[in-house]
Amino acid sequence: MVVLNKKSFTLPRVEREHFVRLMRLGVEYDRDKGTFSIASFDNIEAILDSISNILNDEILFLQNCLICDNDFPCSECNYPEFCETKNLPFQCVCPQCLKNRKIPQQKLF
Amino acid sequence: MIKDLLWVEKYRPKKISDVVGNELAKTKFIDWLKKKNRRKKAVLLYGPAGVGKTALVNAASNQFNFTIIEMNASDTRTEKTINKVGKPATSFIALDRFSSESKGNILFLDEVDGVFGQQDRGGIKAIINIVKQSLIPVVMAANDTDQKKLRPLKKVCQLIRFHQVRIPLIITTLQKICSAENIEAEFEALERIAQNSQGDMRSAINDLQSTSEGKEILTLQDTMLLRTRNKDIGMYETLRGVFSAESVGEAAIMLSRSNVNYDDFLLSISDNLPFRYPESADLATAYDMVSKADVFRGRVGTENWHLLRYFFNLLAKATTVSPKSFKPFDFISPPIRVMSLFWTKNKRMKLENICAKIALKCHVSRNTAKTDIVPFVKIMLEKQKSSKIVSWLKLEPDDLDYLIKMNKL
Repeated sequence: MVVLNKKSFTLPRVEREHFVRLMRLGVEYDRDKGTFSIASFDNIEAILDSISNILNDEILFLQNCLICDNDFPCSECNYPEFCETKNLPFQCVCPQCLKNRKIPQQKLF
Repeated sequence: MIKDLLWVEKYRPKKISDVVGNELAKTKFIDWLKKKNRRKKAVLLYGPAGVGKTALVNAASNQFNFTIIEMNASDTRTEKTINKVGKPATSFIALDRFSSESKGNILFLDEVDGVFGQQDRGGIKAIINIVKQSLIPVVMAANDTDQKKLRPLKKVCQLIRFHQVRIPLIITTLQKICSAENIEAEFEALERIAQNSQGDMRSAINDLQSTSEGKEILTLQDTMLLRTRNKDIGMYETLRGVFSAESVGEAAIMLSRSNVNYDDFLLSISDNLPFRYPESADLATAYDMVSKADVFRGRVGTENWHLLRYFFNLLAKATTVSPKSFKPFDFISPPIRVMSLFWTKNKRMKLENICAKIALKCHVSRNTAKTDIVPFVKIMLEKQKSSKIVSWLKLEPDDLDYLIKMNKL
């Protein structure tokens, strides 16, 4: 299992066809830093499959908590079977904040 | 008065930050709205119901002082009515744009995937024309953009995808509403409502209101009567689901929940099988199942729907020949056949036009012209480009170029 940072991540040398596919799906490549980042989330599932195919391993994006701003993996969540966007790099609420019933005053309403 | 309001209306987001989830889609939409010189004049927000598409448009217009001119599914949306509302709204820039209070108008067409059939004839064509000529931002929202009729519309729009709202975010929103309504809710009750909604914020709020009506305490027991909502899933999710399923049953459930076109799905399964099964024996078994499924699809036709379960079961079996060997791969979707028909449409239309000209002059059918006459015309043209036959058949110069360069029929 490989954990990736949604803002930028590196990949081993990618074959031309894989690189073109990633670019078409909405991934950007920074030539100077040699890092990839996700620019468009419209095809995010396909991007995940492509990267997983390149790395030949299951990949995982950490979630960012809207309330406490901490990063956490989906494996800590109690609702993975109800979530159709699990492991995708979207914002969420971490189990601790949810358990403590912290309501974000500014971000919601 | 406000007491009688539906909570979805009462707690409708007033600012962009009030819209829960889909952070990236929100940023993309706001960036597009703020731009003065937009590359595409229209934006199409798409995604499942109740995830905040309409709420975002309303909140953004409220925050940036735009006035919304809206047409939704409850209006008749024929070419005539769309032109009646859309053309005046988009052809002129309202004077209030130059005031400090308003930034002008937005044309908002909600549920554009619902524009169809005899009732809304010519609707999509009219929308495309309006988008091309519009002087104001045009915003559209749809649930399902895979439909064939929306393809031309997608070309002229910037697409922004919305995903389902995650369960923890829905629970947090429900907690907030409960505290605003002075309801003491058990966490498990809110959890059940959120899980039941399957990522649909609107239905979660409606369920909360219906279960806590007239109560000060909401318990898990109160939510027991809620029934699970069915959700349709699209092509990519269906492919992903059935190929990664661990049993035939799991794949069959996924198929029955899907809203994809059966014929497109059969083609997609067929295209993706070689990536799924590296072993030739597995691949052969899977294709055998697909061929049987194809037979059943033919038998289902338009009336024998009771046979559809056999079609589903055979496809489910094809995708789960060896469930343990699944490794993620790049799915081919839409089907190659559909894509190649799409890319060659112009060429095929050109040939059809040439055949129509020949058919008219030679008093034969277009098919006969294509198979019996066009090959000979091509040979004649290759030898002598400006022959008498060209003027007799009234062929244009680009028709000649096409025929000469054409490899085979």
